[in-house]
Amino acid sequence: MAAEAPPYTLLIIEDEIEITRAVGAALREQHPAIVEASGGRTGLDAIKTSRPDIIILDLGLPDLDGLEVCQRIRALTDAPIVVLTARHGEADTVALLNAGADDYITKPFSTQELAARVAAQLRRAATPRHAPISINADGLSIDIRLRQVKRGPMLIRLTPIEWDILGVLVSDPGRVFTHQQLFTAVWKRAFGDARLYLRVHVTNLRRKIERDPADPRLIITAPGVGYRFIAES
Amino acid sequence: MKQKTVRFVEWALWLSVVVVATVVMRSSRGQIEQAHAAFVYILIVLGATAGGERWLGIVVALLGFLSINYFFQPPFDTLTVSAPLDLLALVAFLATALVANHLLTRARIEADRAKRHAEEIEHLSAEIRHAEALREANRMKDILLASVSHDLRTPLTTIRALAQDIQTDGSSARMHAGVIVEQADRLGKMVADVLDLSRLRAGAFTMNPEVNTAEDLLGAAVRQFSGVPDANRIETVIDYTKPALLGTFDFVQSLRVLTNLIENALRHSPRGTAVTVSVAETGSNLSFQVADKGPGVSLSEQQQIFEPFYRPSSAAADAGAAGLGLSIAKRLAESQGGSVAYADRPGGGSVFTFEVPAAAQELVETLT
Repeated sequence: MAAEAPPYTLLIIEDEIEITRAVGAALREQHPAIVEASGGRTGLDAIKTSRPDIIILDLGLPDLDGLEVCQRIRALTDAPIVVLTARHGEADTVALLNAGADDYITKPFSTQELAARVAAQLRRAATPRHAPISINADGLSIDIRLRQVKRGPMLIRLTPIEWDILGVLVSDPGRVFTHQQLFTAVWKRAFGDARLYLRVHVTNLRRKIERDPADPRLIITAPGVGYRFIAES
Repeated sequence: MKQKTVRFVEWALWLSVVVVATVVMRSSRGQIEQAHAAFVYILIVLGATAGGERWLGIVVALLGFLSINYFFQPPFDTLTVSAPLDLLALVAFLATALVANHLLTRARIEADRAKRHAEEIEHLSAEIRHAEALREANRMKDILLASVSHDLRTPLTTIRALAQDIQTDGSSARMHAGVIVEQADRLGKMVADVLDLSRLRAGAFTMNPEVNTAEDLLGAAVRQFSGVPDANRIETVIDYTKPALLGTFDFVQSLRVLTNLIENALRHSPRGTAVTVSVAETGSNLSFQVADKGPGVSLSEQQQIFEPFYRPSSAAADAGAAGLGLSIAKRLAESQGGSVAYADRPGGGSVFTFEVPAAAQELVETLT
């Protein structure tokens, strides 16, 4: 399977050499082409010269603000960005996701987890960007075109807003949607104090589609950041 | 400047009292004796000394001396003293006035000194209290450092020993790697806990309380344990017949509170027993409860369990934690207007209750 994978180029932008080394060691077996940059500016240069397929970006770089690096990367390439964040960094993480980063992982992280996130982002980037037509997850089948959700043979009735939220989440399984992104996508207006609406509707949606709403397996909370839909079962 | 004005007013006041008294007594000179005048002047001297100052008293005494002699001793309106007894009376007056002036002044100085002393003592004892608070804080820091270095050394020693063993005997690598990861995680959690505790103490935590649903928090807390061997011991109780419960709390920090409570319950209760996590609205609060079937906490330990680095006497020496979970949970709850409390569980075990303010019910009704 590994042999079939196209040779992807990874770019790691991280100032701590030890972390760069550890990340490289974890990913090199699957992705031998790894470019390293120790700062924001060198990272941006590396994007122009080596055209990476995925970028692993540390949030706390010494030379440039993480948000600025993220925005400037987005001006150069559509390659997925996975952000390495620190604890208590939720606000920064949200800002980066809103600015176009694709996923984040909090230090200290397990290397398997990082490898899985990288693989998922590469898979996402490789498949054409149109929403799936139907999804089966944890015994739940979702038909996007028919706007139908079933658990086994049982049809589940969703309110229009609940359907919209689910629709946005399943349009990109695995991706973290920030509260703001979800709200804007569903309510089609600016983000106010309305995070509350979103949370209550997500809770109600879980009560309808999860086997155990107190132990959700489909709509996962990214604490302080947003929600993601997990499709693999 | 102000002091000077006050002194001027005092002088003017008492000197005019002397003048007025003299004029009044002078006008009825026929009816009074020189002794009467002397009494009046003595009174004025006392008043001037008490109200003003020493020199004012002395000046008034001298003025009294002169006016008794001049106005009230025959021969009137001259400074001549005709009778030797009059001279004695004059000297007696002056002596009495000056002694009274002296005594009063001394008494006032003593009173001032006593007052200054009291202030000084107050000031010093405030300094002592401050120093004691600093010493106590320092002592806590020493205890903290001692505990931290002890607790950090255990996993570090393990990691170092295993890594060194791999260095000399590569074949053991796979066997040791699992333990190294486990100990590194333990170390990481301790460092994070210690940092959090010091941030909490310094008040450097920013809380971001928002309206959240109780279920979202509970679900996120349960998910933190996915993959942990004990995860199947966690059971949740939520009343799904009622609308979702809302509370005002910081989601990320409350998640830590609840996770710490669940972790604590799993650690201190026998394998195979359930840890029950439930949520309900109690009055104006949202109340999360974590109940276990462990040994419970004895009355004498019920306050101590929330102290940093406290380990219950019943716990194993190596319970796998630095004893910071509960103290962090309590502080995190309190710094967002909530609380964490312990209660005995009827029938045996512990119940830890985490409360946060409930959100207005109208919000729920408009939405559901």
